[in-house]
Amino acid sequence: MTDAKAPVSTAPVLAVDGLTIALPRGGDRAHAVEDVSFAIQRDEVVCLVGESGSGKSMIAHAILSLLPSGVRVAGGAVAVNGRDVARLSGSDLRAFRGGEAGMIFQEPLSSLNPLKRVGAQIAETIRTHQGALPRDAMRARVEGLLAQVGLPTPGLLARSYPFELSGGQRQRVMIAMAMANRPALLVADEPTTALDVTTQAQILRLIDDLRRERGMGVLLITHDFGVVADVADRVVVLRGGRVVETGSAEAVLRRPRDPYTRALIDAVPRARLRPPAPRPEGAPVLSVEDLRKTFTVRRGLFQPPRRVVAADGLSLSLHQGETLAVVGESGSGKSTLGRMIMRLTEPDGGAIRLGGEDLRSLDGEALRQARRGLQIVFQDPFASLDPRQKVGDAVARGPMAYGTPRREAMATARALLERVGLTAAAAERYPHEFSGGQRQRICIARALVLRPQVLIADEAVSALDVSVQAQVLALLAELRREMRLAMIFITHDLRIAAEIADRVIVLQKGRIVEEGATRDVFSAPREAYTRALLDAIPGRRFFEHPGFTREPVAPEVA
Amino acid sequence: MTGIRRAAGIGIALGAWIVRLVLVVLVIATFNFALVRAAPGDPAQVMAGQSGGADAKLLADLRAEYGLDQPYAVQLVRHLGRVVRLDLGTSTQQRRPVLDLIRERLPATLLLTVTAFTLALLLGSTLGVMAGLAAGSAADTAFTVLSLVLYAMPVFWLGLMLVLVFSVWLDWLPPFGYGTINARLGPLGQALDLLKYLAMPAASLGAIYLAIYARLMRAAIIEVAQQDFVKTARAKGLTGAQIVVGHMLRNALVPVVTVAGMQAGALVGGAVVVETVFAWPGLGRLTFDALLQRDYPVMLGVFLILSVIVILFNLATDLAYRLIDPRMRAGSA
Repeated sequence: MTDAKAPVSTAPVLAVDGLTIALPRGGDRAHAVEDVSFAIQRDEVVCLVGESGSGKSMIAHAILSLLPSGVRVAGGAVAVNGRDVARLSGSDLRAFRGGEAGMIFQEPLSSLNPLKRVGAQIAETIRTHQGALPRDAMRARVEGLLAQVGLPTPGLLARSYPFELSGGQRQRVMIAMAMANRPALLVADEPTTALDVTTQAQILRLIDDLRRERGMGVLLITHDFGVVADVADRVVVLRGGRVVETGSAEAVLRRPRDPYTRALIDAVPRARLRPPAPRPEGAPVLSVEDLRKTFTVRRGLFQPPRRVVAADGLSLSLHQGETLAVVGESGSGKSTLGRMIMRLTEPDGGAIRLGGEDLRSLDGEALRQARRGLQIVFQDPFASLDPRQKVGDAVARGPMAYGTPRREAMATARALLERVGLTAAAAERYPHEFSGGQRQRICIARALVLRPQVLIADEAVSALDVSVQAQVLALLAELRREMRLAMIFITHDLRIAAEIADRVIVLQKGRIVEEGATRDVFSAPREAYTRALLDAIPGRRFFEHPGFTREPVAPEVA
Repeated sequence: MTGIRRAAGIGIALGAWIVRLVLVVLVIATFNFALVRAAPGDPAQVMAGQSGGADAKLLADLRAEYGLDQPYAVQLVRHLGRVVRLDLGTSTQQRRPVLDLIRERLPATLLLTVTAFTLALLLGSTLGVMAGLAAGSAADTAFTVLSLVLYAMPVFWLGLMLVLVFSVWLDWLPPFGYGTINARLGPLGQALDLLKYLAMPAASLGAIYLAIYARLMRAAIIEVAQQDFVKTARAKGLTGAQIVVGHMLRNALVPVVTVAGMQAGALVGGAVVVETVFAWPGLGRLTFDALLQRDYPVMLGVFLILSVIVILFNLATDLAYRLIDPRMRAGSA
């Protein structure tokens, strides 16, 4: 019954023809996308590449007729297996969604109903399209799907709630749900952006495997040319709602014709390994010794609490002007380390010394004074600025809290805003008037206005577009030189770590598994865990070996 | 092995909960004691006043009889001692055990408040869902205005207006009371009769909560509708009704349950006013009379019972939470 859906004609699985999507009146532009055309054949992965605001997500939503209210298709057509999606309505449309075309989204946690067991959510998809099955048959189907997407113990997993799963497991569940009715087309909207590097590699491989197994067409939306290099057969590059370039992945990656495509490819951080700077002499600015932290997670009313080791004897030292990258998968304890150094999270044991002063022995006013020397920039530039505080105030409040008169603090704030690439007039505006990259510049200004000795950047560029990421990284590198800053750069993206750091420590489950000069660690990793992390970097083979030709099948990583 | 450990875990958790409950009740009893004593006047003065003349000897005798001549600390310890033994003392006015008085009145109050609460929650949520799904439409605007009116209306005034319309003008419902006296009715007839008397008090008490829950539900539905998992449900090919019932409703209930649980105490407090308007023979009337007469034992007894009800309501909210949201079952989430 399901196999009857497999296309018999030679029509492409997806044909987007002259698609124009109109935005509601009063927006910053009239059309989200204009005159976009491309097609996907059976057994083909097409990547739709673009930065935020390019309209790539709108196209994905238009394919399943899921555009938000107020946004509508103003021209052109989308056809799946030769059928015009716009003409579908009512039960035909519902049969198409989740039947012929499956979709997965960026944030697997928010895309699953938090209050329903994942097995039930998958079963619902099957029931909707194939009718009710006997209980046991349904359970077998669901568990079969979970096994197919590579989840161990499917029986147990089906009875779990989304919050009990890891990010990668959740995305696998989403994929199982999208695959439940053997769709001819899978639309994946940034499916790996929220995942760490090893999980990303696994999910991409899974999508690729399923594609081959079932001969699906896959539309994969991404902003990362590394991902393109790994999985795409063909590429469509979007800018401001228009297609600037399209072609086979090989051709576009090697011989990009459009300057914008070239800029995007160049912006991919590429692990250009620099010779390590000689380690500075003298006492370190910051030293951390034997830091320990175990979180106790309360579980059910009647269950014993679970203990999670976030730091198991972490030691590090940092000299003036030096950048140390902290890398590892999610849950390895990277962020906890940064928060403990800031004393935002209280360690269970160990010592933190800033300029010879023991931070852990300080409290009250003494701690407040010492904190001045330690500043942090967080990952999410939207959540880390007060939406009701003017940008100038946000920056000037720091020095004012340490006794600088308001007028003087505002002048410093304006000067610093200019230094990070904004205008002095930005001080009078509110955060919502700025883009993500600009906001992150504001956060950097806010951290640096206190002239700290140490800056902690916790995934500070992870939420940004690749080209913006490159600009912010360049800014940080300049500021580091200018201010002789010592920097701790926490990131899950090893390409960025390689780009910016002198030294690197690799964390796994709260332990340092490897550390050393970035070049040594990355070119000759000693530990299997480090090697696995490096192997998982998207597009690594392409970007590091210019003569490399993409293999048709991504090889299994040990 | 794990079964035994699990059972032991449940036992420990339950024991801890009961110990906490007892401690909370004792703290509340202490507070109530202090509050009641802080008001001017005492039962002896009222009784002496009622007996016609208040000479110093009579006052002193009365105070000695009820232990009011003792230092506050001694009185408090005695009071707490009685609370632990579930002995709430004897009413100074009615000369009957307080526990008996409360036992007579409690069912009427529970009937009134539970009915009002259930109606408000069910109707309010339903209206809220409808308004939330139609957000921005004319019906939604009408709903917003209506809920604002209900919200702004004083309980006693609403009660009086209901009486005016349904009893005086239309003569459909009895204006006050708790069942027709001396009516010879079967069990079903009795229930229907009681329902007639219950309708207006429950409606006036529940109106404001109905408005609150409806507005909360409306906001929650609008917010949930924008969540990614609703988009997922659409992408799966579900119908609108399947999405609302299967995915949105339970998620939207979380904030409503939070507020409903917190307001249960206020609901019982509001019952005092409604019971007075409709001559409903519940705890409200008992409290009102006891307040005027400085009937310390009755006041303390009623306050204690009300606080236990509020604590039980909180427990019920907690359990409802766990039922709705698996993340709550996991503790800290």
